[in-house]
Amino acid sequence: MASAIRAQKTSWADDVDDHDLVDQNKIEDYVDENGIRTTIEYAINEDGKKVKIVRKTRKVLQKSVVEHAVAERQKWAKFGKERGNKPGPDRATTTVGEEVMLKLSAGNKLSEPEPSPEENVKARLAKAGAGKVVCRVCKGEHFTAKCPYKDKLAGLESSVLDEDGGAASDAAPAAPGPAATSTTGKYVPPSMRAGASRAGESMRGGMSREDLPTLRVTNISEDTQESDLRELFGMFGKVARVYVGRDRETGAGKGFAFVSFEDRANAERALEKVNGKGYDNLILSVQWSQPRPGQ
Amino acid sequence: MRPILLQGHERSLTQIKFNAEGDLLFSCSKDYVINVWYTHNGERLGTYEGHNGSVWTVDVDSDSKYLISGSADNTMKLWSVSTGKCLYTWELPTAVKRVAFNEDGDQVACITEQRMGFQSAIRVFKLDKEDGTKQSEEPLHMFNPIGSKATVCAFTLTPNIIITGHESGKVALFNVKTGEEVDSNERAHGDVVTDMQLSKDWSYCITSSKDKSARIHDTKKLMVVKTFTTETPLNSAALAPNRPYVLLGGGQEAMSVTTTSLRQGKFETRFWHKVFEEEVGRVKGHFGPINTIAVHPAGTCYASGGEDGFVRVHHFDDSYFKARPYGEMEIID
Repeated sequence: MASAIRAQKTSWADDVDDHDLVDQNKIEDYVDENGIRTTIEYAINEDGKKVKIVRKTRKVLQKSVVEHAVAERQKWAKFGKERGNKPGPDRATTTVGEEVMLKLSAGNKLSEPEPSPEENVKARLAKAGAGKVVCRVCKGEHFTAKCPYKDKLAGLESSVLDEDGGAASDAAPAAPGPAATSTTGKYVPPSMRAGASRAGESMRGGMSREDLPTLRVTNISEDTQESDLRELFGMFGKVARVYVGRDRETGAGKGFAFVSFEDRANAERALEKVNGKGYDNLILSVQWSQPRPGQ
Repeated sequence: MRPILLQGHERSLTQIKFNAEGDLLFSCSKDYVINVWYTHNGERLGTYEGHNGSVWTVDVDSDSKYLISGSADNTMKLWSVSTGKCLYTWELPTAVKRVAFNEDGDQVACITEQRMGFQSAIRVFKLDKEDGTKQSEEPLHMFNPIGSKATVCAFTLTPNIIITGHESGKVALFNVKTGEEVDSNERAHGDVVTDMQLSKDWSYCITSSKDKSARIHDTKKLMVVKTFTTETPLNSAALAPNRPYVLLGGGQEAMSVTTTSLRQGKFETRFWHKVFEEEVGRVKGHFGPINTIAVHPAGTCYASGGEDGFVRVHHFDDSYFKARPYGEMEIID
């Protein structure tokens, strides 16, 4: 540091400052009556600021009683690669490591879960303020590439099945579940309200095609067939009709389709789940179908 | 506690050993050199140079006068502990994998590798303790253990009986005079036995194995007294004198180290309760699998040598001696 400063100076008059600098680096060193040695140093830190470093050390002579043979061995001359070296540990071969903890406690350590590399990455992302990792397919807390359902959108299947199971068990008895939902203040479609049952659904059987709850699915791939969409949306409930928009000449898909459900609730669930999901490398967009202005 | 790092080796450690008083620590590695260190401050006292191959094993006699070492250069050497001079060299047909002194330090058992048409053999040499340079070239006894080759051995309290650990996981007792297998436990381990260390009074021993477990055996009847099952292959197991713990070290194979994280590698020294067979603590530090562990004969410190070439000497804190993880009770050794 000092040499760097000196290099910048051009005038002989500045030499005086140099002496000051040397003075600053002078070390004060004294031993007080308690045997505590104090060393005061002045140095310039990385920011160019002068700092005072005070070190207090006390030497304590530790005595230990050892066996005669051990004491004899302490006096042995060094040999081999250490031949002629002065007594005391050599920094080249002996260093003191970082503090390690040994906590002895009962209980099986095997049961401790170990974070996987993926979890480590997630933790780091969270720490960096990137938020939580959310899967685009199933909204789970893992990477989309790691999603177990990424091939088949099976994530939908399981969540749908879960909900179905719940609904079925709720509907059978006095249905405390739906009653609870009505108190939340959120809009509940009539078919989902308390007292509504599956029997009511069949009453809509006579409705015309236009009255069926229909979803407009866009951004599907060209070669998507009716059967594919039936399979995909069939998870949510009975699909009444599927129409895939096609080019009249070539028969290739135009990238949109209409899916009509028999039950509005199922359609709503499908809309919620499938909208924004990947399918055939494309991200589906699902909206309610708007009736044409002319009709 | 703050470990002392000993950087005297350029390659992975193969065995470390304390002398009888525990003031000296011997370490040998694949880099042909044997080092000796003062335990209390980690100062290197000297090196023993002369081997031309990986040094697989060392042992020191109870007077800390002689050191014996076995190497991959097909020799076994006798050294003067205090001067580092090689006193005698035995030429053997294959690499020496394990050496062990008997209690009086006048006999040495040695295991040679099975290679180049030679069978694995166990030899017992008689030592002339007065003049180290005058030794008989021929072994006192020699025999080839039938079946699986031996990997580790130790003398027992019964004269002429040695205990061996084998590649198949077998632990056996051999009469060195006749070469006869006196007793054996074929199912002691499911894989190669990697280490064997005797208790203070030699009445029992601990073995570690690649089958991820360590076991305490009675050295007379070969009865398995305790089993410690971990989740990683073990390279070494040691008994802590005066405290009811065993120290286990291992980690996955060296070849797969670079492809796994430090955490998964499980390169810690594990402390297990000797009686309750449960893990009670871990000490981190090594960057690779632990190849060898040794505990000070007084139980005040332990050292571990790793595949990373470091030896770490840990002097236990007061908390180690005061800790009673299973409540107030004294376990008599």
